[in-house]
Amino acid sequence: MNLTKILLITLMMSAFGISMQAQEKITGREIIENVYNRETGEDATSDLTMTLRNSRGNERVREIKQFSKDFGKEEKSIMFFISPADVRNTSFMNWSYDEEGRDDDQWIYLPALKKVKRISSDSKNDYFMGSDFTYDDLGDRHPSEDTHKLLREEIINGEVCYVIESLPKEKGYMYSRTVTWIIKDKWIGLKKEFYDEDGDHLKTLSVEKYDKIDGYWIILQSVMHNVQKKHKTIMNLKNVEINIGIDEGKFTERIMKRGI
Amino acid sequence: MTAKILRIFVMFIALVSIASAQDLLFNGYARTYLGALTTGESEYSIVQNTFDLNFEHTRDGIYFKVNPFLYHYSDKDLELGFRQAYMDLYFDSIDLRIGKQQIVWGKADGVFITDIVSPKDMREFLLPEFSEIRIGVTSLKLNYYMGSSAFELVWIPVFTPTQMPDANSIWNIKPDYPLPFSLDYSNVEVKEKLSNSEIFAKYSMLSSSIDFELMAAYSWDDDPAFHSEKIINQTNGIVDSVVLKPEHHRLATLGGSFSTTIGPAVLRGEGAFYNGKFFQSADPLIPDGTEEKNYLHYLLGVDYSIGDLKLSSQFIQQVILEHNDNLINDEFENTVTFLASINFLRETLNIELFSYIGLNNGDALIRPKLTYDLVDGFEITAGANLFVGEEGQFGRYDKNDMIYTKLKYSF
Repeated sequence: MNLTKILLITLMMSAFGISMQAQEKITGREIIENVYNRETGEDATSDLTMTLRNSRGNERVREIKQFSKDFGKEEKSIMFFISPADVRNTSFMNWSYDEEGRDDDQWIYLPALKKVKRISSDSKNDYFMGSDFTYDDLGDRHPSEDTHKLLREEIINGEVCYVIESLPKEKGYMYSRTVTWIIKDKWIGLKKEFYDEDGDHLKTLSVEKYDKIDGYWIILQSVMHNVQKKHKTIMNLKNVEINIGIDEGKFTERIMKRGI
Repeated sequence: MTAKILRIFVMFIALVSIASAQDLLFNGYARTYLGALTTGESEYSIVQNTFDLNFEHTRDGIYFKVNPFLYHYSDKDLELGFRQAYMDLYFDSIDLRIGKQQIVWGKADGVFITDIVSPKDMREFLLPEFSEIRIGVTSLKLNYYMGSSAFELVWIPVFTPTQMPDANSIWNIKPDYPLPFSLDYSNVEVKEKLSNSEIFAKYSMLSSSIDFELMAAYSWDDDPAFHSEKIINQTNGIVDSVVLKPEHHRLATLGGSFSTTIGPAVLRGEGAFYNGKFFQSADPLIPDGTEEKNYLHYLLGVDYSIGDLKLSSQFIQQVILEHNDNLINDEFENTVTFLASINFLRETLNIELFSYIGLNNGDALIRPKLTYDLVDGFEITAGANLFVGEEGQFGRYDKNDMIYTKLKYSF
């Protein structure tokens, strides 16, 4: 699993301090890199609610408390599962590295086993907790893994957006292409369409609510709609706090076992 | 019985009320478990209702947890107790846990090598959930943290042995002895005194490249040695029967475990050296029929995925050092475990196959199961426990093949 970027789904597109030099000549790759490399603060915590809605409208809700901290060349995050009841007190920790090609380190604590287990991070195409988001969708995909082309500019919800087409370099990747609408100046992806290996439209990600919190643009609600299977995942973020001085000791086996 | 159930019910209601009033966190589950043998007349192997509650409270660096449970059987007395009941004291670099607690060590799955702190409840062999197999023991646990490493010290003042099945249980196995025997339990008890307490120590590190643990223990062997006293027939002077006297012995253990990532796989290992374990011997010159030997137990395992399919396999070897041909146990005992698990329907349907395979005797325990989350927190499980072979630690239960279903509601 690669759960660490759950928090970053809200922060990945937050705009802060990125200058817009030579906007007119900017390339698709530069736009995507600006999104990927944006400043997100030293640390952050939030409460995430994920609602899984199937084609009949039935819902399942997952609640998570999460913390992350940037340590320079590595970033650590930890999340605690609050509900449903049968996964309560499960925790997950991820350490990711700036070093290109270096895999994340990940551990999961299962209270029934009372043991912290190291797990493989080689699961970027897996869906997170049964949702419509893969781990790659949650922001972990490096810009160098795709080729990016600026298609046009377009206005959505009153925001001027760059429209970028991204094609994977890896053969057989689960998406044959994606198209992303990125708000100019804010570097927030407002909408993203995903196309499957056959080139058919698979999913659409829509950002429905975002706000500036502690000086950072934060996405507070987004919806991933699988148009083929006709189900959705709605992500809501609450109680967002940034740069609150989270202690390094938060990202340890001790806290995984102890809980929030 | 009705009055007892009523009292317990009132107790639980009172606890829940206290939880509400005192701002305690509480959660738990209710579960119904029905299993039937597939051999013979399809008798029920288990009809069990479980109620498991968990209360927690924390304040100013102090944490309190109590986990009462209740088992109701169709054919046995109501069973209730505390799985855990302890208090934590948190300091900057030190945590103290005092009370009845389950302690889990090591990196192995479903195999107990360095995981010897909490004794096991083997009344239903290895079939219950691991949270139910481990017996909570009253102990003092101290953890000292230094960055990403930690030192853990456990003191258990009173020894608790492995809990074995009742004599009439389908899981009860009589000692394998070539002569008629009777049992004398006069030596089996370990007296409750300070000098009989157990000490366990562990150093562990969790780092980006590898996680490992080193452990040492001065404890009691949870499983008794069966010393024999020969009964000589007065008429012909030949030994025609024995009295078996189960007795626990001191055991010193040194061990360790590790876990690391290699590409897409996680490699795990665990091993321990046990000093002073007793084994049964057929040597007629040995008066009590047992020999003390040193013993190795180790494992190598790998976890990997093929698409959505999660796979895990472990090779386990037990070695009796300075083995001789008179020992009943083989010098090497090899076991393999295999796990395959896959989720469907947005992780609401899980299909799993777990098996232990004994390589010495060609026996196995095969455990297929299917779990479906009807709604969040309410799961239905259907599965089977299939014992293959005629002898060995799994084959000896060949007649206990069973199918089962469980309904579990978590809140």
